[in-house]
Amino acid sequence: MRSPETAAPRHITTAPLLRKELREITSGRALWTMLLVLCPLVGYSFFQAAALYGEASASARDSPVLASGLSPLDGVLVPSFGALYLGVTLLFPFVAIRTLGHEKETGALRLLVQLPYRMASLIAAKLGAISVAWIIASLPALTVLAIWAALGGHLYAPETLNLLLGHLLYGLLVGSIGLFAAAVSDSAATAAIIALAFTIGSWILDFGLAGQPGLLDWFSRLSLTHTVRTFEQGLLSVSLLLGIAAAIIGFAALATVWLHPGQQLLTKLVGSLITVAVIAGALALSSQIRTSIDVAEDRRNSFPAADQRALAELHQPLIITVHLVPEDPRYVDLRRNVLSKLQRAVPDVTVRLAVGAQTMVGGTSDEAYGDVEYAYGASSARSRSTSHREVLPLIYGLAGKPLPPPIPGQDYPGYPLEASGALPLAWFFGALPLLVVVAWWWTRRAPRIPRYLSQEGGQL
Amino acid sequence: MAASPDIANSPHAQPASAVMRIAGLSKRYGEQRALADVSFDVRANEVLGLIGPNGAGKTTLLETAAGILPAEAGEVLWRDVPLPQAHRRNAIFYLPDRLRVWESQFVVSVVEFFASVYGRDPGRVGETIRLVGLSPVLRKRIGALSKGYGRRLMLTLALLTPQPVLFMDEPFDGFDLRQTREVMRVLRDVARHGRSLLVAIHQLVEAERVCDRFVLLADGRVRSIGTLDELRTRSKQPSGSLEDIFLALT
Repeated sequence: MRSPETAAPRHITTAPLLRKELREITSGRALWTMLLVLCPLVGYSFFQAAALYGEASASARDSPVLASGLSPLDGVLVPSFGALYLGVTLLFPFVAIRTLGHEKETGALRLLVQLPYRMASLIAAKLGAISVAWIIASLPALTVLAIWAALGGHLYAPETLNLLLGHLLYGLLVGSIGLFAAAVSDSAATAAIIALAFTIGSWILDFGLAGQPGLLDWFSRLSLTHTVRTFEQGLLSVSLLLGIAAAIIGFAALATVWLHPGQQLLTKLVGSLITVAVIAGALALSSQIRTSIDVAEDRRNSFPAADQRALAELHQPLIITVHLVPEDPRYVDLRRNVLSKLQRAVPDVTVRLAVGAQTMVGGTSDEAYGDVEYAYGASSARSRSTSHREVLPLIYGLAGKPLPPPIPGQDYPGYPLEASGALPLAWFFGALPLLVVVAWWWTRRAPRIPRYLSQEGGQL
Repeated sequence: MAASPDIANSPHAQPASAVMRIAGLSKRYGEQRALADVSFDVRANEVLGLIGPNGAGKTTLLETAAGILPAEAGEVLWRDVPLPQAHRRNAIFYLPDRLRVWESQFVVSVVEFFASVYGRDPGRVGETIRLVGLSPVLRKRIGALSKGYGRRLMLTLALLTPQPVLFMDEPFDGFDLRQTREVMRVLRDVARHGRSLLVAIHQLVEAERVCDRFVLLADGRVRSIGTLDELRTRSKQPSGSLEDIFLALT
């Protein structure tokens, strides 16, 4: 078809659009209010975490064994960033919704969709602005890192960056959900309800369904909190990374489908179905990827280095048949201490659950209930242990391999620190909020008028 | 502000060939019919008035034709070639009524945004600002503008767009008499310089002064189309005002 050539600008850049979105998100109250709320929230979390860590460190002063259990990741960073997680879950949806919901309510969207940008570019610019908003919102949590280092605390870069990545992805996921909610709703209030249904609904999935058998367990895994939890455990999972990326792109794509008010409802529904199908396929594919990197300094997600090397040389299939129901605490222990680590260390390992679900009285008719059967090549053996110290020798025995000698110097030393978080409280409760208010005021200054616009005139 | 030339007696542009045709446009809101088989042409360099009482379907017509609202039936043709909904923004820019957008932004920021999106040179932007008289409020937030200045800002944005056809919904709302005459002069200038305007107006006196032709719309149907003289002949009111003609034909 012949389209009017005169109107479509030849060179469209997204820079003006991105600048406009950044101005929009920083000129609203939502982001700055969230930041002001986060300052004391993160500050108090850090204060409490540092105090508890200090007490534990004092107890471990003369005990290297106790000291080896002191990880700043678990003791300080995760609790402090927990406040950021809380803020992102409850407040960030409002920041994200504002980027689109306000334009829908005021009618600005009707101007925006007439600009020579693709709908995907409009949503991408908004998601870009949301990313910047997350960085601004995470400033209190980021200052925790600087303060902890200044107090003499230890930071291990890979696990710290991994934690930051997890929170960034979670923020973007919540942001894209907010965008989607704003795109499908007529009002910001409805969008907020939809977005909070996702975020707070995740908590319900977590608390209500986790550990339940069958389909309920599958539902509980849809919880958004899984996004952060794996990163908090010092694990960089390629599967999770791709899965979250697919979910973010999916919600952004759905927002794109629903953005234009001139599209027929049927077109939007068909577009949504196709998007959901593609994203579901991407999620299914990503879930098949087993690659993950243990970035925790204490290697909590791996066996000792000598065992890791020895297990990597087991080239035949290792088949593990577990006679436990998924909700059995022994299975939870076995999964955490042995199975998940084996799945990362052994090239070819299959885990089967021999018992589907618990009986009505809580027991099971399986006489072998509680056994775990390990089969490697033609050999097999049973054990009821959930500790790698008993399971690994058994597997080595099946493979006809000797126990690997431990590699010296691999033990995690722990990083005790008796530091007080009281002084930094002044930063989080005083200086930082003041800086936020100043930054807020700075963003609200009237811009300079270019010379070519400053000459007086006018006819009306 | 200088008095405007007598727009009513100014020689309006002669009807030229149609650049755009709206053909059989229909739209319903649930059970309520908003537009029924609406068809008319928009000619080059003309100001075409869309005339009708409140609820006649003027806004719905502008929005469906611009592709902002989905239509049940009908199409828009650009020089006799169908213009799909996704491509209409290349031909049409639609300025809705009563817009107060991006209220937390400064006037200058929004003007510069539109200017950079469409690659307008500073001279053109400055000229438009001066033409519309927006200079005194450039450093103000949009939310703090008076109704009149809010309308001027929207008019500025519309004038910065390059589309050959400009749809405007009630462009004189919010302006006093003197300002209305100036807006009329600006719109006539815009048409003279190559754009076609489809303007929804419910004030018939203003419409009579600014428009070359009229589409009379009532209950979602086109009742008549033509110049004022053609409509007078059709309504058999040789000296009738647009108001008389509208009442006679609808």
